[in-house]
Amino acid sequence: MATTTITKTEKLVGKRIRRREDPRLITGTATYVDDIKMPGMYYAAILRSPYAAAKIRSIDISKAAALKGVHAVFIGKDTENAGAVPCGASLPGLRVPHHNLLALDRVYLVGHPVAVVVATDRYIARDGCDLIEVDYEPTEAVADPEKAIAPGAPAVHPQWPDNTGFTFHQEGGDVAKAFAEADVIVKQRIVSQRLIPNSMETRGVVADWKAADRSMTLYTSTQAPHLVRSLVAQILGIEENRFRVVAPEVGGGFGAKIQTYAEEILMAFISRKIGKPVKWIESRRENFLCTIHGRGHVDFYEIAAKRDGTITGIKLKIIQDLGAYYTVLTPAIPTLSVLMMPGLYRTPNISADIVGAFTNCTPTDAYRGAGRPEATHGIERMVDMVAAELKMDPAEIRLKNFIRNEEFPFPTATGLVYDTGDYAAPLKKAMEMASYDKLRKEQVEARKQGRFMGIGLCAYGEICAFGPSPATPAGGWESATVKIEPSGQVTVLTGISPHGQGEETTFAQITADELGVGIDDVLVCHGDTALVPYGIGTFGSRSTAVGGTALYYALQELKDKIKKFGAMLLESDDIALANGQCTCNKTGKSIGVKSIAAAAYRAMKLPPGTGPGLVATHFWEPSNFTFPFGAHLVVTEVDAETGDVAIKRYIAVDDCGNILNPLIVDGQVHGGVAQGIGQALWEQAVYDDNGQLVTGEFMDYTMPRAHMMPWIESAHTTTPTPVNPLGVKGVGEAGTIGASPAVVNSVVDALSPLGVRHLDMPLTPEKLWKVISSGRTA
Amino acid sequence: MIPQQFEYSAPKTLDEALGLLAEGAKPLAGGMSLIPMMKLRLAAPEHLVDLGRIKDLNYIREDGSSLRIGATATHHQVESSALVRGKCPLLAETVSNIGDMQVRNMGTIGGSVAHADPAADYPAALQALEAKVVLKGSNAERTVAANDFFVDMFTTALEPGEIVREVIVPVDGDGTGTNYQKVVQPASGFAIVGIAARVRKSGGKITLARIGVTGLSNRAFRATAAEKALEGKAGSVAEIQAAAAVVAQGIEANADLHASADYRRHLAVIYAAKAITAALGRIA
Amino acid sequence: MKISGSYVLPLPPEEAYKRLQDPKVLAAAMPGCEELVKIGEDEYSMKMKMAMASLSGAFDGKVRITEQSPPNSFKLAVEGTGKIGFMKGQGVLTFTAKDQGTEVSYEGDVQVGGTIAAVGQRLIDATSKMMIKRFFDKVAS
Repeated sequence: MATTTITKTEKLVGKRIRRREDPRLITGTATYVDDIKMPGMYYAAILRSPYAAAKIRSIDISKAAALKGVHAVFIGKDTENAGAVPCGASLPGLRVPHHNLLALDRVYLVGHPVAVVVATDRYIARDGCDLIEVDYEPTEAVADPEKAIAPGAPAVHPQWPDNTGFTFHQEGGDVAKAFAEADVIVKQRIVSQRLIPNSMETRGVVADWKAADRSMTLYTSTQAPHLVRSLVAQILGIEENRFRVVAPEVGGGFGAKIQTYAEEILMAFISRKIGKPVKWIESRRENFLCTIHGRGHVDFYEIAAKRDGTITGIKLKIIQDLGAYYTVLTPAIPTLSVLMMPGLYRTPNISADIVGAFTNCTPTDAYRGAGRPEATHGIERMVDMVAAELKMDPAEIRLKNFIRNEEFPFPTATGLVYDTGDYAAPLKKAMEMASYDKLRKEQVEARKQGRFMGIGLCAYGEICAFGPSPATPAGGWESATVKIEPSGQVTVLTGISPHGQGEETTFAQITADELGVGIDDVLVCHGDTALVPYGIGTFGSRSTAVGGTALYYALQELKDKIKKFGAMLLESDDIALANGQCTCNKTGKSIGVKSIAAAAYRAMKLPPGTGPGLVATHFWEPSNFTFPFGAHLVVTEVDAETGDVAIKRYIAVDDCGNILNPLIVDGQVHGGVAQGIGQALWEQAVYDDNGQLVTGEFMDYTMPRAHMMPWIESAHTTTPTPVNPLGVKGVGEAGTIGASPAVVNSVVDALSPLGVRHLDMPLTPEKLWKVISSGRTA
Repeated sequence: MIPQQFEYSAPKTLDEALGLLAEGAKPLAGGMSLIPMMKLRLAAPEHLVDLGRIKDLNYIREDGSSLRIGATATHHQVESSALVRGKCPLLAETVSNIGDMQVRNMGTIGGSVAHADPAADYPAALQALEAKVVLKGSNAERTVAANDFFVDMFTTALEPGEIVREVIVPVDGDGTGTNYQKVVQPASGFAIVGIAARVRKSGGKITLARIGVTGLSNRAFRATAAEKALEGKAGSVAEIQAAAAVVAQGIEANADLHASADYRRHLAVIYAAKAITAALGRIA
Repeated sequence: MKISGSYVLPLPPEEAYKRLQDPKVLAAAMPGCEELVKIGEDEYSMKMKMAMASLSGAFDGKVRITEQSPPNSFKLAVEGTGKIGFMKGQGVLTFTAKDQGTEVSYEGDVQVGGTIAAVGQRLIDATSKMMIKRFFDKVAS
């Protein structure tokens, strides 16, 4: 679909406008962390453990330190008192392993940093790593979360031999009664496998300490520059107001760059120690091992239902693979799954338990959807299974159990309040786009021919726009500053930190519409803590819903001031501000925003009780999360001979509330769907029994490529949220949340004539071939 | 992702290159296999000799009833050569399946063949074509049949100091049909199984059947049992199935994360049938 | 990763058993082995240079012979560490007379770690088989 050319007086919000970010990105003139060069800058290379569990008997750095060009070598005892990698989540009884920046006397995952070589160039730094001699005594490791919490497993952390980081329990309603009175109970073990986020740009840090100013500048590929600043400043004892964090162009994050990592603290520590700037760039192999992984659930579901299809109760036990230590949100992620476990359904009776299991593996944390894809996958698979058990059509059972439109705001059994919803609308629209009844008839014919055709539905709901501050680890508000310069150009400073989401464009659209200026007169700045006031960052599909709202309110304050100046200059109280002009309703005289700006700064005359300048800052605290929803419908065919899955049709109907820029929303849906399909069909981070990551490169970890993707038929319904004045809910993660259940439901449907009722992801060809072959001989 | 230090030479003549190789240097062609290994420090040659500047090694020419392809001809050159597409279509078709466009722009026939990756595409086609590989060292030049050249996993008939100078493939002409079928490992792009079929018919009967299989085992091999099952037959569906069923006879199949030995053998049978059928269908 | 297989040596079982415990034979037969130095009862330190395709790496390690039950079986354990990763293999070798020679069956497992584990997944099975075959070929000669 083409983009739109706008003439000046049209509203921009809602239009498909090309992104302001793109020219610099596609001409290769954007500045990423590795583009930053500073005079006298050193390079760091990190030596990492090849063992998943081992004692360190000794480390000899003498040869490395003697290598020409090596400036310094750091090991565990040098950083012992420099602090630990932070975890911001808190849960009752949470056991938090102290994770030093560099390993001390033992390593507990492959990739555990053991030493840092600092040299004049990256080649010598890497050579230096090869010269360090580490005497390891390997010990037994455990890589599977179920094995880890079983008796007799080797202890990941010696002080906790049961490998349990925490347990969590939550209940709502009366689940015992629901199960006692159920007509059917369906049980299933469902795995949401460990995934590697794979941003196009790996992580990287440049740290620059200037002793004379007591100042630290940290360039880092992050989604949350202010959070990194606060945490690293606190850990290293550096004054926060002299600590500047810059997120330059960031090549994708997907949640894996929210965390404050060991390397960010290490490079700041090292720069301060050596008094020189130091750069560290993560290799792809390091990224596979040392940037957080996503998902890692083994879930046990039980659903109680009545014969008429009413779902009366849900029991869920989650075994969460935590990895060997925590990063900033690790233990909190599965609690988000519990919050969303009822999905779009009215079920008042729930019971949930989480066991967090330590394993000798990379920590898990937020990855596109962060707990909600797992919850949606679970409930949507279970609903299909209940439908199959009751011989009900999968659409019918969903329509029956959806929360009804008149019930919003809807308090859920898990303690949330869903804002607005019209759950039947996207499902019905998807079915209409698919010609659902016709598809079911086609399926009957296909089955007669021995072909495995499947139709899969997923009705998803999700929680985003994080969020009310009492419910978040570091605050959930957002800030925005709008400045109109004397010449009339507008600068927006936002506390969010986009890395592909397009707010330089959408925020400019909002600003242009509100102030009536041209979109090219608006510059949106972000990512530099020296420039923008404190903000929380970009993750959890919050940037527009929360950050955009802070911007909206700042714009209203600015408009009030503009009107005051307009009234003064037009010498009338009866004025209106529209399309960038202040007009006197009586005389018809008008004055433009540009002239008002000039007058506001020249200050020849000021309105009563008003100072010069045109700047407004607003900090906005949301009263609730928002709850986007939608329905995805996927038609697949499984090759009977090879087990290959072909996606014949992919229909996505998403409701993210009001849409500011359909082009950008399309991009988010497409990208999200790609990652969801990736999980369903191809991706998995595989560890062997010794904790070795065997999918350690793109040779074995299957990344979705463009040519593997189906055409996505994308549509929307629009149910604005009352939580913010923009009516915007968030869409960054929705595609991922809707995709994997729809694909798996489709393939299970395809193979259901063989008696298949559940399959775990990824649905590899061999897995399906085995099912088909055994089905045929059975 | 940083290799160990190494010396780099880019001679303009073959003799100069061979001289350096005799001293223990390692040849570099497209670098599509070697450079990643070096960046992971799994390989650390002290001296690399880049063969890319040697004009004498890059050619595709017709010679009687053969095509002679110089060692540094890139996959892209072979894929897009009118000569290869017209006179040895199996080679062009196979090459177009290698990796991706960027790999094909750099990778070379000599490099691929000398590397002898058990899941590479070229060796299957060269086996089916009964190709010959010309090896050259400082002192001598010799010609080895493909089946003798591919010895084992990453092991060829090359002696130290020798390089592949040229690959010779036959020009079959009318009456012969070929096809390459590949099951792509979706992460790496290598062949889980790759089947190159070359069949000739005369008087309604298959007079020649050559089937090269890669990805299944330690080296690309000729599926001789399947070949014998086809020769003399008309090529009915049942006969093709019967031949395909024995394509992996006597071969121990590899297993890895992406395909077990059983699944690999199963795919070999399925895709052998497809390749044979398509090859027969292309006989002019 | 589990490994198993068998090889027929043209020697009577007692001979085959002795030969496969002889450090000189092991040093010559193990692919890339540069030296085996006795460091204890049935234990040897090992220096190995692995070279396959362009892949090359030096390994330091140990070879240990345990669970001896002549002339029927013993356990052979090999481990090595190098810059490119580490490997650990162990197997029980069982000797049975067959025709004019001995069938040596082996059953055990191979573990690898480090870079070779991360990037060489598809080759570990095939490489192990190949190395074991080369080992037995050398022992037989």
